[in-house]
Amino acid sequence: MPARLPAARALRAGALCLALGLAPALGQAQGGVMNLLNSLGGSASSGGGLLGAVTGQSAQPQGDDLISLLSRSVENIDEGREIEIGRQLAAVLLGSKPLHPDMRLQRYVNQLGRWISLQSARPGLPWTFIVLDDKGYNAFAAPGGYVFVTKGLIDSCADEAELAGILAHEITHVTAKHHLQAMRKTAQSGVLTQLVASQIRTNAVGNLVASQVLALGRNLYARGLDQADEYQSDREGVVLAARAGFDPYGLVAVLQGLRTATPDNPLFTLALATHPPAQSRLDQLEQAMGRRLDGLPPGPEKTLAQRLGGQAPAAQAAAPAAAPVPAPARKAKK
Amino acid sequence: MRGPLWHALARALVAGALCGTAVLAQAQEASIKRATALRAAPGDQSASLGELAPASAVARTGERQGSWVKVRTAQGTAGWVHMFDLGAQPAAAAGNSTAGGLRSLGGLFGGGSTTTATSTVGIRGLSAEDIANAQPNPAAVQEAEKMRLSADQARQFAGSAALQPRSIEPLPEPPRPASTAPAATPDATYAN
Repeated sequence: MPARLPAARALRAGALCLALGLAPALGQAQGGVMNLLNSLGGSASSGGGLLGAVTGQSAQPQGDDLISLLSRSVENIDEGREIEIGRQLAAVLLGSKPLHPDMRLQRYVNQLGRWISLQSARPGLPWTFIVLDDKGYNAFAAPGGYVFVTKGLIDSCADEAELAGILAHEITHVTAKHHLQAMRKTAQSGVLTQLVASQIRTNAVGNLVASQVLALGRNLYARGLDQADEYQSDREGVVLAARAGFDPYGLVAVLQGLRTATPDNPLFTLALATHPPAQSRLDQLEQAMGRRLDGLPPGPEKTLAQRLGGQAPAAQAAAPAAAPVPAPARKAKK
Repeated sequence: MRGPLWHALARALVAGALCGTAVLAQAQEASIKRATALRAAPGDQSASLGELAPASAVARTGERQGSWVKVRTAQGTAGWVHMFDLGAQPAAAAGNSTAGGLRSLGGLFGGGSTTTATSTVGIRGLSAEDIANAQPNPAAVQEAEKMRLSADQARQFAGSAALQPRSIEPLPEPPRPASTAPAATPDATYAN
């Protein structure tokens, strides 16, 4: 991995450095951004190859920080950059809550999600599905194919079709590049500099692009996406889940449950604050769906416990559907 | 009017809590959105058990088959209605339509007597503060990336799970709700 250059110097003089041959390890014919993203990612396993694959495509002479990168139209952010931005945002989310330790559950969510992603517009992304160890109820996505669900959300799913609907909704955020659009808006609005400045004390990363990504990521996940993007992801998520063979009403069932959750319930506060009201989402879905999808053959109609039980020793499979996943309320009574 | 249904709901709530079912989507009070028949089984062709008036209260049993959910009327009759004919319970509907503000909407079931277990136990989910204070954890991302599956592995799962890909037409985009009009900016190029 390239050495970590002091950020400000690298940013102002990135091109100069390259020209002077001061940074031979940073690769050739690419702008400063990827060098910096590369250096802050610190991922020796796959990052190098991934980034290496995109560096040869075209030189990007303009723009040597994230603001410049995002100021270009989103279509001009190539897939390698998109994935790298997503990886940085994923690191922010995984910095707020750890991976859930149940590897069987993690694998199952990857199986389900990867299968759904294969029916999406971007089946070739390196899709990564992650269960966060959190009792709250939420789901997130990041550019390039990172999809997160909390354990609390998993526990509240009555069946597999509900989880499939949620994953399909998040997958649509990725395929439609909603996060890149939102970050771009923030960058263009000029508040990014303020965001970075306001967070200086909490930034342990000490490099400007890293600080920018961190500030944008924190802002993005605390604030949420455009409401129009949420409606689009609901609508297209329903179709995507149905294409993958699931009951298309899974997401509708989720939203009908969600409309009884109140924002003062601390397990739902963030999810409700960052999404349109569940009733509005249901109204939009009803208008879009009508009875169009009612004639489809039903999906497998499995609960998560049945599905997970099927991969486990028989002792695990004997429990009734909801038993292995106690409601958050119960767990908390300890 | 409220008595028997209320007790049934309370019983259902307790039962739900005892067997550890999810907080959501179980034993919820709901109201009928538009006049419709209570069906003996899922589907419009199924026998009618009687008419349900708009705004009449029903309790969801938690059973669902595709677009149909099983409900129980205040009189105790169980039957099936289409999900889109089922509105939220009146209190929650009113609260939710106020644009998702962070104000308190009362208990989960809208009444003063029930306690919303999850809001009183002192635990909370991942919050905006957690995210604001998060320090990036790239090592955890690498861990997660090890769980990635290939397309072939996903197809293998689908085969064992009896999941078949299907061709489905895109859904039409309805007009936006009025409350979200400001979000519709001219540069909304998200479809690209």
